[in-house]
Amino acid sequence: MEIPYIVNARKDTGLFNAKIAIWLFLASEVMLFGGFFSAYVFMRLGADYPWPERTLPVLPGLINTFVLIGSSVTVVFAWAALKLRNWRQFQIYMWITVICALIFMVLKGVEYNVKFHHQAVRLKDYTVLEGHLAYIDGTKIEKNRIKLELNPGSTITYNNLRVHDAWVEEILAEAKAAGATLKLAAEVKGAEGFSDADTIYFAKDADLTVELLDKFEKAHIKARNHNQKIRTQALRDAWKVAEKQNPNKSNWEYSDKVSIDQEAIKSKLLTDIPAATFVADKSFQISFKPRDVKEGPEQSKLRDDTVINAKLLPSPMDFHYLDAIDFQYLVMKAEKKGIKPEVAIENSWLLKNDPFAREAWAWHQANVDELKKRLIKDYGLDEKGNPNREPTHKELYRIGWKEFAKYGEETHKIKLSVTDKLKEEFMGPNYKARNPDEKESNSHDSHEEVAHGDSHDRVTFPHLSVPREQIGFASKFTPSWNTYYAIYFTITGLHGLHVVGGAIVLAYYLFFGRRMYEENPEWLCNRVEVGGLFWHFVDLIWIFVFPILYLM
Amino acid sequence: MSAHAASSNSHDHSHDHDDHHHNPGFLKKYFFSTDHKTIGLQYGITALLFLAFGFYLMMVMRWSIAYPHQPLPDWMGCFLTDNWKARWLVDGKVSGETYNMFGAMHGTIMVFLGIVPLGFGAFGNYVTPLQIGAVDMAFPKLNMMSYWIYLAGGLLMCASFFMESGAAKSGWTNYSPLAGFADGQIVNQWLAGQTQWLIGLVLLITSSLLGAVNFITTIINFRARGMTWMRLPFFVWAMLVTGFLLLLAFPPLEAAGIMQLMDRVAHSSFFMPTGLFTKSEGLADLSGGGSPLLFQHLFWFLGHPEVYVLLLPAIACVAEIIPVNTRKPLWGYKSMVYSVLILGFLSFIVWAHHMYMTGMGDAVSTFFQTTTVLISVPSVVIITALLISLWGGSIRFTPPMMWACAFIPMFGIGGLTGLPLAFNLVGLHLHDTYYVIGHFHYVVAPGILFGLFAGVHHWYPKITGRYTSRFLNHLHFWPSLICMNVLFFPMLVQGMAGFHRRWYNGGDAYLAKAADSANVFGVIVRDYIDLNIVMSYGAWILAVAQIPFIINVLFAWKKGRKVENDNPWDATTLEWATPTPPGHGNFTFDVAVYRGPYEYSRPDCDEDYFPQWQAPNKTGEESNEKETH
Amino acid sequence: MANSVEEIQKSKKTYLLVFGALLIGTIVTVLVATVEALDIGEHGFDKWDAILGMLIATTKATLVGLIFMHLNHEKKAIYWIFISALVLCASMFAILFLAKYSPIFDSYFYL
Repeated sequence: MEIPYIVNARKDTGLFNAKIAIWLFLASEVMLFGGFFSAYVFMRLGADYPWPERTLPVLPGLINTFVLIGSSVTVVFAWAALKLRNWRQFQIYMWITVICALIFMVLKGVEYNVKFHHQAVRLKDYTVLEGHLAYIDGTKIEKNRIKLELNPGSTITYNNLRVHDAWVEEILAEAKAAGATLKLAAEVKGAEGFSDADTIYFAKDADLTVELLDKFEKAHIKARNHNQKIRTQALRDAWKVAEKQNPNKSNWEYSDKVSIDQEAIKSKLLTDIPAATFVADKSFQISFKPRDVKEGPEQSKLRDDTVINAKLLPSPMDFHYLDAIDFQYLVMKAEKKGIKPEVAIENSWLLKNDPFAREAWAWHQANVDELKKRLIKDYGLDEKGNPNREPTHKELYRIGWKEFAKYGEETHKIKLSVTDKLKEEFMGPNYKARNPDEKESNSHDSHEEVAHGDSHDRVTFPHLSVPREQIGFASKFTPSWNTYYAIYFTITGLHGLHVVGGAIVLAYYLFFGRRMYEENPEWLCNRVEVGGLFWHFVDLIWIFVFPILYLM
Repeated sequence: MSAHAASSNSHDHSHDHDDHHHNPGFLKKYFFSTDHKTIGLQYGITALLFLAFGFYLMMVMRWSIAYPHQPLPDWMGCFLTDNWKARWLVDGKVSGETYNMFGAMHGTIMVFLGIVPLGFGAFGNYVTPLQIGAVDMAFPKLNMMSYWIYLAGGLLMCASFFMESGAAKSGWTNYSPLAGFADGQIVNQWLAGQTQWLIGLVLLITSSLLGAVNFITTIINFRARGMTWMRLPFFVWAMLVTGFLLLLAFPPLEAAGIMQLMDRVAHSSFFMPTGLFTKSEGLADLSGGGSPLLFQHLFWFLGHPEVYVLLLPAIACVAEIIPVNTRKPLWGYKSMVYSVLILGFLSFIVWAHHMYMTGMGDAVSTFFQTTTVLISVPSVVIITALLISLWGGSIRFTPPMMWACAFIPMFGIGGLTGLPLAFNLVGLHLHDTYYVIGHFHYVVAPGILFGLFAGVHHWYPKITGRYTSRFLNHLHFWPSLICMNVLFFPMLVQGMAGFHRRWYNGGDAYLAKAADSANVFGVIVRDYIDLNIVMSYGAWILAVAQIPFIINVLFAWKKGRKVENDNPWDATTLEWATPTPPGHGNFTFDVAVYRGPYEYSRPDCDEDYFPQWQAPNKTGEESNEKETH
Repeated sequence: MANSVEEIQKSKKTYLLVFGALLIGTIVTVLVATVEALDIGEHGFDKWDAILGMLIATTKATLVGLIFMHLNHEKKAIYWIFISALVLCASMFAILFLAKYSPIFDSYFYL
């Protein structure tokens, strides 16, 4: 039995199977990416925060566009070579195509990596700050943590069913490093049955270990299951009695009077162990991601229901390099309230507390004034006397890293080489090169308060320590930062997966197509054509992705 | 080397290794087969098992609705472990959380794991290549992969019942922000039931997409000689449209699923509005700026075509069975074909009638109201054509015909109860009430499922060479028909009285105990709440009524009355020209089609049927025989 | 379908021409977006920039589709399949724009 029309087209439709199939598949892909692009439109139209326009570096995106368009050409040339039965040419063009795909993914990987390490924070007054977090001993520690301090007598209470083992290990590791131990606060008795032999006994002062908590969990589950059976039967019995007492009545008429006879079953219930409390004997510190902990001054709760009675330490977010200040969101909120933007900005926490920010902002204002003058000069005024062109909100209210860099260049004569400047287009600002006189001090500790201005010859991209109370929302430049980055990573990520998939298929034909070429070259032609069609589609999507996500 | 294309008879290494010597091992023959018939059966059996599981979930839900304060009876809980019961049935009662979990999974399993695989995957796979005269599907290996990806997705979704978080519990519609947050207390989000629902969904969508590509390619390129488009059985047209619906409507849901997955694991805010506050988390640690409405748009963009994906295979089965059992051609074949094509197109632009309460505004609502009312026209054309097809026929009440005849009024009720829901204003009163549940269950349960049962009985003789038992079929049919109505009709009544969907206690929390209470709604609830018990008994008896069907299908396979020949129903479509059961490659002769698919009771024929594949009479009555290639 | 040697050689030239057009289109898009002198409409990004960007992108996409993907000499059935998807996609977008007329719509930064 042979499947027909794999190689040769059917006469009346003029198509071979794979060609119909790939176009059908591409139609579904149009709908898939259409869904994402319509989500983009929806998010943008409905955004209740300033949409980040032109926030991504254009150069990597542009190079990727050229690379992908080039690979589109080479894949069709590869197919043409195959049709002309020129194996060597096919190989060359296919190689170029696959290499282009690799270049694309490498550039994408670099882009993503830079983003994932870049921190952003929105303060409570809606000022947005961007940069890189603190260093410890010269190593970049990109951590944003809530710090707790346990002292002798501090307790941790675990929910035996839900406890997350990894966090227990972390706490134990921190304790061990400080020479502290966590011991069971009081003896724990659980029952697996009713005789003495079934009692599970854990002595006071047992050491906290994951295995101990597992034992608690097992004992608890046994007791819980037993108790539930007893209670269920008791409720059933209560209903039976109630039904007899209430003939001819719907059950909802007397349901509130039916309940378990607690006294009767008390003796039948086993002791369960839902929680276990441990006490610390020495001081040590632990830290958690803000997402995982609900912190309070004396008591904090983790996502797995662990309750930690510990002191909340100041847990500021330390920017080792601040590279952008953005007041657009603050201005948007102020305008909604009828407050003038300049007034709101002057009253922001940042300008009130950071002298460098004040300097930079003043310098920025001067630039904005010049821009306004130039726009009036170049484009004139309209009939009402208003300028034809006004600076955008981004130009008015955001100091991006490029502007900070210019600040450093103008005020401190920093000069970067052309190659360094080019690298910055891909990797973000080069902090070291722009602070050439700064000495990397080994005493930099994230616990140390670094005074502003005293930044060891820091001339641009200053330090900033943001107190935890000022923080509204913090995130790296990941899908969680805002809906723009969410849709950007999703669309480009999915597109990247399609690039990888397409490249794998094309590479397969490149490396393993020789045998098929010798046995049935037309079949290989068809397959390469179909693979090429997919590849062109991937290019098509990028043709839209680039202007929409990078330029608009 | 020349640039000529290879000639059609030269070494076309287009087969897999089972070419001349077809002796695959046991696993390759029954599990990893690439034969469309085996795959169809795999889909069928798996789908029926999932349907049974979904049915069980519903029975437990009905207990909670009828007797919300009473512990689940032992006979219903016998499948559950003690550990599971201790976790989810507090004091033996079905809690709200458990009810939500069962409700969400009941919907998901019935729609995505049950009816679509049964209608499209099972019937479509088995019958379509046979009816067009093809040797198999265009991409047999892809077909096999479709099945296994479906199974993987289904098992993943069901496995989540046993996790700490339980399975998904935010409705089968899985709206954000609830679905973005639910199971948020699980530290490793990948182990949360809600997340796994999304992953399972992505797998299911992939399986459907591959299947749709296969179907459409096969129908376009594998039609036998002489099988022109207007000679295709209506079944094949319906499968073609279903394929396009799956192909084009599922991807936006995949997009929404991926975005919701990102919301859960990457903490993005696609569907999370600003300022979201929950009891467990307080102010959500999210960026906000997202739109819950976007999820609804993307979900229902699939959701509406999806219901036609459920419907069309069942109508396809019924449309095949009626001509065979009335010995008359299908009335209005051409109108039915055009109607199903228009139905397919229109189904893409009616989706927001599921969203009338979201405040979309007049312009949008009016648009969708209009298209929704319009779409009732092709559906009515199809049902009316089926009904008129019965007129003047010589009706044989075989098991398939009984189910097909029951389909028409049951689906009619379902469709007619849908008409009020098309209107924005009526939506104010009926949205999210039991009326909607009654409506769509009428369409799917006594509607679509009856159509699929009809299909099972109709093609059973071809698959196994034996008839199903008529007696067992009566035992299955009559109680099912009655119980379906006992179960779903009161829902329409309760819905109009204002009973909401997804009330885990059947309305108990809202009822006013005193008959003269000032709480008007409470008094109305009180007046209709006892219907819950009637409906629940309907459901439980319905369960018992399915047992004869299971016995029938299993026993008839070895003990049923044997068929007399390869075409026991004296039908005209191509699947009856194959050996019983069809072998690998399906046909033992070179198939050519000479006429339309429903040539019954032709005056110029001795027999009361003239099969499509039979060569024309020597009198040359077939003057418009078309050559395709 | 270009099958003979001469047809394929001729189409190679077309491919190169289209390649050039695509590169120029990309450069034009970037220039229009980044160079202030070429900014149509208002200063900064506004709907005219979006329309122009989309026009250029659609032209590039059409060229890729017609020439690289051989749609210019493909069977009708394929056209139907692909165009229907595009039409549906467009309708999905169009209806989302209707959201602007919704009473709860409120946009600070209007596109």
